[in-house]
Amino acid sequence: MLIEQSAYTNRWRRVSPSAKGVTSLCGMLAAYAAATPVAACGVAAILCVVTVLGAGIPLERYLRVAAPACLFLTFSALSLAVSLNVGNSFGDFVLLPVHSELQKVAQVCGRSLGGLAALLFLALTTPLIDIIALLRRLGAPEVLLDIMILCYRTLFVFSEAVRETVTAQSARLGYTTIRLSMRSLGGLVANIAVQVWQRSQALHLAAMARNNDGPLRFLEQTYPHSTRDICVAVSGGVALIVLTLMIP
Amino acid sequence: MIRQATKHILELKETSFRYPDGSVGLDRCSLTILRGSRTVVLGANGSGKTTLFVHLNGILRPQTGTVLYSGAPLEYSRKGLHSLRSHVGLVFQNPDSQLFSASVREDVSFGPLNLGLDVRTVRKRVEDALQAVGMVECADKPVHNLSYGQKKRVCVAGVLAMQPEVIVLDEPMAGLDVAMQKELTAILDRLHTAGLTVLIATHDIDFAYGWSDEAIVLQKGRPLSQGNAKEVLQLSEVQTELGASPIVAEIVRSLALTGIDVCANGNPPRNRAELVKAIAAQTKQESNR
Repeated sequence: MLIEQSAYTNRWRRVSPSAKGVTSLCGMLAAYAAATPVAACGVAAILCVVTVLGAGIPLERYLRVAAPACLFLTFSALSLAVSLNVGNSFGDFVLLPVHSELQKVAQVCGRSLGGLAALLFLALTTPLIDIIALLRRLGAPEVLLDIMILCYRTLFVFSEAVRETVTAQSARLGYTTIRLSMRSLGGLVANIAVQVWQRSQALHLAAMARNNDGPLRFLEQTYPHSTRDICVAVSGGVALIVLTLMIP
Repeated sequence: MIRQATKHILELKETSFRYPDGSVGLDRCSLTILRGSRTVVLGANGSGKTTLFVHLNGILRPQTGTVLYSGAPLEYSRKGLHSLRSHVGLVFQNPDSQLFSASVREDVSFGPLNLGLDVRTVRKRVEDALQAVGMVECADKPVHNLSYGQKKRVCVAGVLAMQPEVIVLDEPMAGLDVAMQKELTAILDRLHTAGLTVLIATHDIDFAYGWSDEAIVLQKGRPLSQGNAKEVLQLSEVQTELGASPIVAEIVRSLALTGIDVCANGNPPRNRAELVKAIAAQTKQESNR
């Protein structure tokens, strides 16, 4: 929801999604091309600053969105940086840092941070519907896009349905003990499963009523300064890659 | 499908439909919808209102009997249904069950694009439809951030963008607060003035009495009564079936018993505003004497 909120309210909402896609792609390429961990972290920092200052995403929200991915990255880095040395008897094991791997781990971490910052730039500035429209223009398979559209739409419908059902169950003391909670949870899953089936039927009828006979077709958004935006994005992206390559 | 300017835009002749579980949807149902009318369909839950509506859009095919559009029986071929659904638009009760895209503008474009229109025409129709329902300001908002009433308006816009001759709405006022009901009624009035035939299912007998020209009351899949709304809704068997009577008609009748005639000009008031106006006029007339 934080991502969703930012995507619709940021300063660059009306900037062409193609331009934002190009920037994100260039950011990922720059992170991959970075020769040293410091350079990769520099790319991440630049992208973070652009997202926060340029698009006007509050820093606190940015950090909250990035936190789970950073936590995952920390655990992954730790698992790469240390090795488990198991002895002969039960309980005889030690964790040893692998010195030879530390440089590689730092490089992977730096690149991952750069990639994360590039993806966050796109996710926090571009609503998913615009990303789907961009994928359609890039020739992604129709079936995949239809599934994405329906999943994205129904995500909110079912989250609302889950919230309502949980409230109704709680109002009748459905979650007062662990046993009751498990029972209520089962009821919730069963209820939502039925709703999924009913809603899919209803959507099918609604599609037929509006003359649909196959792929879901929607009008593409137009952006007033699309060419200008793309030119700026390409220039900025190429500059970022060149800058990264120039750092020793 | 050849369109003719027949008096009845839609008609059912001895139409029956039974669901796979054995429940009756329509039972030898015969009724007519007047071209350019504001028609309401009333009836208890399970009386066949929704079944009737999905028959009018060709989603369900009658097991016996015929459905006619502009005097011609419906063709259930791909081409026939394509033509029918471009003329008869259907708005379902629950907006969350019919909005496909998370973008308002995209969702409204869904129907006209399915008609095979070019992008320029679709863009124009989308803007016109959003304008008609007063949703231009919300066009760039995600659907899930809209209120229930706004979602309903997007659904209406989605159908209007297909430029149908008939718009069929299944309980459009359900779940709306009074202000939103008024807004939606104003939108429907504008559509009617623009020449559309508007068909609505409702449980609100006061709304039906005040707003509609024609009324159809369904009972167990067939019409109990149909015709002029003012007359139909005052029939005792209709009021017994619906368990209600129009409050304005009751007040007019009660006033008449006390000697106050608020139908002096021959037009009995149909809604609260007209009633208040008529009482005020009558009181003024009395005081002048």
